[in-house]
Amino acid sequence: MKISLTNEFAQEEMQANLALMQVIDPELNVNIVDLGLVYGVDFRHPQVITVTMTLSTPHCPMGDAIEQGVINVLHEAFPNREVKIELVWEPEWSIDNISEAGREQLGL
Amino acid sequence: MADIFVNKAPKELAVIPFYGTAALFFIVLCILLFMSASEITGHYFNPPILAIVHTAALGWATMVIFGAAYQLLPVICERELFSNHLAFLSYILLTIGTCGMIWCFWRFDMEWLMIISGTCVLCSSYLYAFNLYQTANDSNKSQVQQHFLLLSAFWLCFTTTVGLLLAINLRYTFIPRNHLDILKLHAHAGIAGWFLQLICGVGAKLIPMFLLGKSKRTWLLYAALILQNVGLILFLADGYFNPVTLRMSMHGVLVALGTACWLLYIIDTYRHRARKKVDLLMKHAGFSFLCLSLAFMFIPVILVSSETKWAALYGTFIFLGWITGIILGKTFKTLPFIVWNKRYKNLNGKAKIPMPKQLYHERLIPYQYYLYLGALLSMCIGIVFEQSFLLQITGILWIIVSLLYGYNVFRVIFHKTNIGYEDIVN
Repeated sequence: MKISLTNEFAQEEMQANLALMQVIDPELNVNIVDLGLVYGVDFRHPQVITVTMTLSTPHCPMGDAIEQGVINVLHEAFPNREVKIELVWEPEWSIDNISEAGREQLGL
Repeated sequence: MADIFVNKAPKELAVIPFYGTAALFFIVLCILLFMSASEITGHYFNPPILAIVHTAALGWATMVIFGAAYQLLPVICERELFSNHLAFLSYILLTIGTCGMIWCFWRFDMEWLMIISGTCVLCSSYLYAFNLYQTANDSNKSQVQQHFLLLSAFWLCFTTTVGLLLAINLRYTFIPRNHLDILKLHAHAGIAGWFLQLICGVGAKLIPMFLLGKSKRTWLLYAALILQNVGLILFLADGYFNPVTLRMSMHGVLVALGTACWLLYIIDTYRHRARKKVDLLMKHAGFSFLCLSLAFMFIPVILVSSETKWAALYGTFIFLGWITGIILGKTFKTLPFIVWNKRYKNLNGKAKIPMPKQLYHERLIPYQYYLYLGALLSMCIGIVFEQSFLLQITGILWIIVSLLYGYNVFRVIFHKTNIGYEDIVN
């Protein structure tokens, strides 16, 4: 997830990024930001946060739990906003999406 | 995006009882192995061996496979399970039928109780196949894994139907062929049709998920599916119309080639995996395929040799080496996640919660693994050299393995959530 500091919602995006780091993929035991599952967080709508994300495997059995985790942490960080998740399979997730910290945790 | 399928997990009752009951049957199986140590190298058509084989095939392997399949079907078909109630009914029928069959085989009581028990198992297999077919039929995506599952369900129904006919034949003889020849066909329809194709289908889906690996050679899976089915059909047709001879191992070669294609797909996935570290549970599963390869090599031996111990060794490689190895390895890759999903899904990100791995005693897994290897090796040595005393010691090792496994399974199943309000607020 890339955050541009010139973006008018940069502060909110950073706050969301920090919150999303609390959501752990239960199988890989690495947070979803470092896994590169989160493609973007949109704050343009005043009452809604839209998270565009993917899963490491299509139809991942843990997908429901990960989605719930995203809703929980963002609702905690932004109580006045509704959280919407847009799950996408394009671009397809690959190991290239994993951050340096994530690679270290996975022993890559 | 709302209609994208994430995971509509089946209800707990459609999955968890299978795992718990299978663990109990595994303990029963190991106790029976201990009690029948002196009979193991004898002819396979004797009461204790028939009881042991059916405990392994139905109570242990089929039971846990049903549970895993009901959990995985929605993932493979991208649809909810057609019916949780039918899944639970298949569990009740399989449990009752298996208990009855083990009791009847042990006492060699081939009267009505045996036929009723066989009918329960038959109904359970048809319910499973119907549920699977309906779930796959609703799906708008067709994957090779689905074909493996559907064909394996067909072979399961074929196996249970022939099995029931064989049970009736022992009471009222009506099959024109030699009972033992048909028994071989029944056994191999179960092994190469039901177990092999189910494991290939589920493995082709799960192993890439666990390893974070991908293979583009999907054609290998189609080749595996075709070769395994052509080989099995030729084996059954040849075996029904002609005497069982060495020639039939040619059909076994086709099935083995199909399995080799599947293994090449898995090896390709392994080579392109993201997770470099392979844990002990995956090694458990990996070792099981070595046992399957050994079993294939033994097919010509059991077809020509009159020594009963080779058939015992072949059965050991199949049930205790391959199938037990893969179940011991895969249980803790699936069950903790199923239970975790039920208990902690809604708390994810809200509180400090345990990870699925923490729901069982991970430290017991190495003991389970090495004891399993020791039990299997000593059993093979005991069979080859026909050492009853060694087989009795092996029986004790198997009981310890089953208790370790059972302890961890029930620890996961009865796990209670200990997250209080304070944990959520803080």
